[in-house]
Amino acid sequence: MDITTTDRDSATIVSIAGRVDTATAPVLEQAINKEIEIGHRHVLLDFTRVSYISSGGLRVLLATAKKLKTPGDKFAICGLSSEVHKILKLAGFTSIFSIYSTEGEALAGW
Amino acid sequence: MPGGNDTLVPLVWQPVPGTGSAQIYPLIRKIDTISSNSYLIVTPDVLILIDPGGLIEQAEQLSRVIGECRRERDRPVFVFLTHAHIDHFIGVVGVPAFACPETAVFAVQEQGAEALERADAKLTQAEMLGKSLAPMKIGLPLFPRAWEVNCNIPVSMAFPNGATITITYDRSGTAGGLPHGRLEFGSGPALDIYHTPGHSPDSVSLRMGGLFFIGDLLFAANPGIAGMCGWDQRALVQSLDRMLTRIDCGGITTVCPGHGRVVTAPDAARMLSAVVTDARALSDIAELNRGRAEQAALFAEDCMEQVNELFTIMAGRLHYVSYVMDELGESDIADRMGALIPGDTIDELLEAFTAFAEEHHQGKHVSIHLALKAAQVITKLGRAFRKEELVHIIDPTLVDRAGRLLSDYTTMFRGFNPPCERSGCSLVPVIEAIVMGLSVSSCSDEDMLSSADDDAAFLQVLLSRIGTRPLLEDVTFSFAAEDRSLPVSIDLDHFTDLVTYILEDLVGTGSDKVTLQVRREDRHARITLFGNTIPGASETPRKRSFLAGLCTRAGGILTCPEDAGMRRFVITLELE
Repeated sequence: MDITTTDRDSATIVSIAGRVDTATAPVLEQAINKEIEIGHRHVLLDFTRVSYISSGGLRVLLATAKKLKTPGDKFAICGLSSEVHKILKLAGFTSIFSIYSTEGEALAGW
Repeated sequence: MPGGNDTLVPLVWQPVPGTGSAQIYPLIRKIDTISSNSYLIVTPDVLILIDPGGLIEQAEQLSRVIGECRRERDRPVFVFLTHAHIDHFIGVVGVPAFACPETAVFAVQEQGAEALERADAKLTQAEMLGKSLAPMKIGLPLFPRAWEVNCNIPVSMAFPNGATITITYDRSGTAGGLPHGRLEFGSGPALDIYHTPGHSPDSVSLRMGGLFFIGDLLFAANPGIAGMCGWDQRALVQSLDRMLTRIDCGGITTVCPGHGRVVTAPDAARMLSAVVTDARALSDIAELNRGRAEQAALFAEDCMEQVNELFTIMAGRLHYVSYVMDELGESDIADRMGALIPGDTIDELLEAFTAFAEEHHQGKHVSIHLALKAAQVITKLGRAFRKEELVHIIDPTLVDRAGRLLSDYTTMFRGFNPPCERSGCSLVPVIEAIVMGLSVSSCSDEDMLSSADDDAAFLQVLLSRIGTRPLLEDVTFSFAAEDRSLPVSIDLDHFTDLVTYILEDLVGTGSDKVTLQVRREDRHARITLFGNTIPGASETPRKRSFLAGLCTRAGGILTCPEDAGMRRFVITLELE
C-alpha cells in the first residue's frame, strides 16, 4: 500500500493505493494520526486506487471519524470502488461520514 | 522409554517396550499432506523402516541413520509401507540407500505392491497431489491372495538383501478377527502385521512389542481424506471395529499414527471409536478424485470471496455498534461489542487464504490443497463466529447467510452435495416475505417502549436497533408481479439467500432505485432484479459463479444480461 499526502483548499488529502488490510491498516492509521496531530482537521481520504478493505481498515475509518468530530472538523472519503463502497454501505458507515465520487466533488461539498 | 512408559521421543533411540532387544528411532512430523511420520526399528537381526515419508530430505536423514546402524553391525533393511499413498514413500526416490533390493526390500500389502509396480497414479494419490510416479519393485508383497490357503503354515523366504524370514499368516482370535501375519527375522522380536483396509485397500497395521503402527486410520473419516480413490466405508468400519478389539486384547501400550504425535493405547481407542462414528455417517459420499478436488477448489474460492465480504460487513457492523455505544458513554459495552468478532484474527485467516489461492493460481499448490486450506480456514472461522450472540445484535440475514455458507462448504468438502431441500410454494408471497424482512427493522418502536423498564432488555433492544439496518430502508424499491399464482419448487433458504445477495449487491454498489419484477413465461416464472449503480460496478466472475451455483441449489437458473447503465439479474424457475 502506498500513501501520499497533499494539502489543497485547506484540506489534507490522503491518497491510498492498494489493499487496506491487517498489515497495512496500522500504517494508514499512523499516517492519518500524524496529520491530525499537527492540526490538520479537514481530512479527505482518496480511495480511488483502493481495491480492498478489511475489518481492520474499517476500524481505522471509525477511529478517524471519532477523532474528527469537534465542530469545524471535516472528514470524508472519495473515489470508492464498487467493492469498497458496498462494504462501507452495508456495514452502515455511510451514515457516519460523507462519501463523494471524486476529490473535486468532496472539496466543493465542504 | 525416555518419554515415559507410553510415549516416544522424536529423533532419539529408545527401547521398544515388551521386546527386550529392539530399539526405535521415531521421526515424528507436524501433520500435513506432504509427508508421513517415519519409524526406524533396529533388532539384532534386521533394520525395519516403517513409512520413509514423502520428502527426499526425510529419506536422506533416515538413510544416514540406517548407514550408521549398518556400520555398527551390518543387517538387512526392510521398508514397510502402512499403505502406498505417496506421502508415505515418495521421498525414497533417488536416495541410493533405498534404490535396489540388495540394499532395501520394500514390503507392502499385495494390492499396494501391484499399484506401485504399475505406477498407479490414482491409488497412490500421485494424481491428486500432482506428483509423477515411476514403477517401483516390491520385494515382499504382504497378504498375497493365497494367504488363507497357507493359513498357519510357516513359510520361509530369502531376499536379495541377505535376509531369510519366516512368515505365518492366520486369522487368530488374539488379532481381534483381523487378518494377521507374523514375520520372524531370526531370534529377535517378531513383527506382527494386520490387514486393515478402508483408508486404502492395502492399509496394514504393524505391531512390535507394545508399539502399534496404524498408518492413517485415525484420519480416515476426515474431510479431504474420506472418499479418496480406494477408500471403502464398509471395510473401514470393519477394520476400525476389529482394531478396537485388538487394542482391547492388551499388550499394546502406544499407538504410532502415520501423521502427528503418538498416543497411548486408551487414547487411541477413544479416538478410533470417534472415527468409527464418523465413518458410519459417510455412506453417501462421492469419490474424492482429481475432478472433485478441482470442483471443491473452485467452490472454495467462490465461497471464500463471499465469506470475506460477509465477515468484513459483520465486523464493520460491530465496529459501528461499538462506536455508537462509545459515543453514548458506554465504553464497557463498546469494548464487548468489539470483541464479539475477533476482527484481526478473521482478517488474518482470510488474507492467508487469499495469499494461498494466489499461489495456487501460480501453480504452487494443487487443487486438493486449496480445498483443504479453505476447510481449515472455515473451521477456524466457525469457531470464532459466535452466531447465537451476533444474531441478536446485527441483521440475522447476515449472520444466517454466513453460517449457511460455512456449512455448505464443509458439507460439500466432506463429499456430500450441499443440502438442497426443495418444497412446493407460491412464489410471490415468498418474495414479498423476503422483501419485507429487508425493509423493516427486526426491532420495532414497540419493542423499544416495552423494554424500557428492564435495563438488560432495553440494552439488548438498543444494540439490535443500532446494529440492524434494513437493506431497503433508504432505497426506492418497486415490486411488480403480473401473476400471483406461480407455484414453484425451491429450496427456501438458498432462494432467500440468493435474492438477498443480489439486492445487497445492487444497494451496496449504489442503486437508490431497485426494481423486482415477477412474471410468468410459458412454463416458467421469471424474476428480474435491476437497479442503477455507480459507474463501473459489475459483479466479478467469481461472484457471478457463486450466485449461479447458489441459484442452482435454490432450484433455478441465473443469468446476468448486459444492460448499459443498469445491473440486471434474472432468475428462472420452473413452474410446478
